[in-house]
Amino acid sequence: MEEDSVDNEEDDHVGDDDDNDVQWTSTAAPSTRVITRESLLVAQREDLRRVMELIDLTEQHARTLLIYHRWDVEKVFAVFVDRGKDKLFEEAGITVKINQAPGTAPAAAMTCEVCMEEAQKATTMDCGHNFCDDCWTEHFIVKINEGQSRRITCMAYKCTAICDEAIVRNLVSERDANLAEHFERFLLESYIEDNGRVKWCPSVPHCGNAIRVEDEKFCEVECICGEQFCFGCSSEAHSPCSCLMWELWVKKCRDESENVSWITKNTVSCPKCHKNIQKNEGCNLVVCKCGQPFCWLCGGATGTNHTWKSIEGHSCGRFKEDPKVQAERAKRDMYRFVHYHNRYKAHTASFELESKLKVTIQSQISTLENRESDIKDFSWLTSGLGRLLRSRQVLSYSYAFAFYMFGEDLFGDEMTPAEREIKKNLFEDQQQQLEINVERLSKVIERLSKVLERLLLEERYDEPDGDDPQQLRMQLITLTVTTDTLSKSMYEVIENDLLGKLQFSTHRIAAYKSKGVEKASQLLLLMGRPIPA
Amino acid sequence: MQASRARLFKEYKEVQREKVADPDIQLVCDDTNIFKWTALVKGPSETPYEGGVFQLAFAVPEQYPLQPPQVRFLTKIFHPNVHFKTGEICLDILKTAWSPAWTLQSVCRAIIALMAHPEADSPLNCDSGNLLRSGDLRGYQSMARMYTKLAAMPKKG
Repeated sequence: MEEDSVDNEEDDHVGDDDDNDVQWTSTAAPSTRVITRESLLVAQREDLRRVMELIDLTEQHARTLLIYHRWDVEKVFAVFVDRGKDKLFEEAGITVKINQAPGTAPAAAMTCEVCMEEAQKATTMDCGHNFCDDCWTEHFIVKINEGQSRRITCMAYKCTAICDEAIVRNLVSERDANLAEHFERFLLESYIEDNGRVKWCPSVPHCGNAIRVEDEKFCEVECICGEQFCFGCSSEAHSPCSCLMWELWVKKCRDESENVSWITKNTVSCPKCHKNIQKNEGCNLVVCKCGQPFCWLCGGATGTNHTWKSIEGHSCGRFKEDPKVQAERAKRDMYRFVHYHNRYKAHTASFELESKLKVTIQSQISTLENRESDIKDFSWLTSGLGRLLRSRQVLSYSYAFAFYMFGEDLFGDEMTPAEREIKKNLFEDQQQQLEINVERLSKVIERLSKVLERLLLEERYDEPDGDDPQQLRMQLITLTVTTDTLSKSMYEVIENDLLGKLQFSTHRIAAYKSKGVEKASQLLLLMGRPIPA
Repeated sequence: MQASRARLFKEYKEVQREKVADPDIQLVCDDTNIFKWTALVKGPSETPYEGGVFQLAFAVPEQYPLQPPQVRFLTKIFHPNVHFKTGEICLDILKTAWSPAWTLQSVCRAIIALMAHPEADSPLNCDSGNLLRSGDLRGYQSMARMYTKLAAMPKKG
């Protein structure tokens, strides 16, 4: 009976799919998409088509509109509805010709106003301005080289109309095919560069992909190249830290400014050998290991014959009080940082070890699955492993979060010390529970790995003196669910009771996802055929 | 032939033909360098610059007319949009609003228009701009008049 109930719990959580990896790939429609080099065009077309369908206009005009409004289709629609088509077009520099067909000018000879020559071949833009093809070409080349491919305006004075991209393409490619390609790429990449919902994947070396989020911009995402990152700041996925907290934390961990400030506050360097000396007791006449005596207060070297008496009236002694207070503060801050940093590091280290364990177990599983064995389905173990790694990450980042949340760097004015203490207790209770269960989970998985090892060797799992595999499996399943619930409730405390209650600053974090960082799915071609990676 | 050279040559011929048409502007090309021009423009009437003749120097870039020429006053002038020391001119068509359809001749016309209608809100000459902005029209006019007399009018024997 008991086993059944646990199994049900597992089913609720994992779903009925037989696929081992089911928990770690998205089942629901994901809110993020990968845009590869190949699908960039398709991604752009989607938005272009939406605009072209609603407002009757050509592709290039739709593109001009979207570039002007940073690819925000909703914004284009909003301006269209609120202020009308004319205003919308005028702002973005679109002129729609009513009668005349665009392209080559009438056969009648004209004088180009730019080169002042009789034009052999001339082109009229949508705005009605007519210049010779040579001058247009020169103009386009200058503008493309100036990096203005996305908004090449007409040559006429005070004309803000954007030049027809097909004309630009044709004329430039006749002169310089290479530059025409650049122009094309600039237009395409505008979809990524000028778009609030799209970001390049930050992988190094760059995988060439970009990610588009469909609704919530505060999220963490995994590119198809495997790179996981925070969409907000393009650094590694760091929730429950906010982007600002993470940025500060990384900086703090990188430079040893804390150490340095503690050393300068608490030690004096010997005037002879320049080692840093810490004084724990005694008078202010200090003798270094190297034998050099010096004054603790001003750091100046003194003679060997110097006695305590003779430096008693030392003038630098007057400022004794002030540096002492400073030193204590720096020391306290340092200890605080060391406390959080050690735990952060410990969980990061565990994460790395457990990642290795995961690889081992996965190979064990695949061997076992190919064998005649009583246990065929290992999905429970795979989910347990995934949960362990995910929770480890959450735990380590939660220490960076706590350092800032309950410190004075960011939220000094937000809470009174009493409030801070209450909130800190609330959070630490959550964190502690999660931590305990993650450690249990880790232990169980470690033992299971040993069981699997024996299974592989002896092809028998009912080893009398070892762990009972069935019981371990049950423990694992329960712990998997518990840790998920605990992680989730810790995020809820952070979002609702801690960050949500801030008055002076806004910190937002990516919401908790049981499945971990969401894998962005590939954009599909219009025909519904997936694009080859 | 280089496009800019060809165009400047055209402009040169145009200038010869139009000399009579616009007596306020005398545009002259350097004898040895077609990219260097000078112009003499008459101060517009009913302004403190009336009666003065101002010399402008043009430096034409290779990518002319796709890029604007650089123009500055050689004659000292007290005007909010002209730098008092260097003679640099703050005029939109010489910067962002340049169009290849402009010519050196039309730039001169735009500069004459600027002399008649100073833009006190974007001053290169702050003293002059401040006089205008504080409403001291008389102060501005008398200063501008004084410098016109000192620098832009032929000395009386």
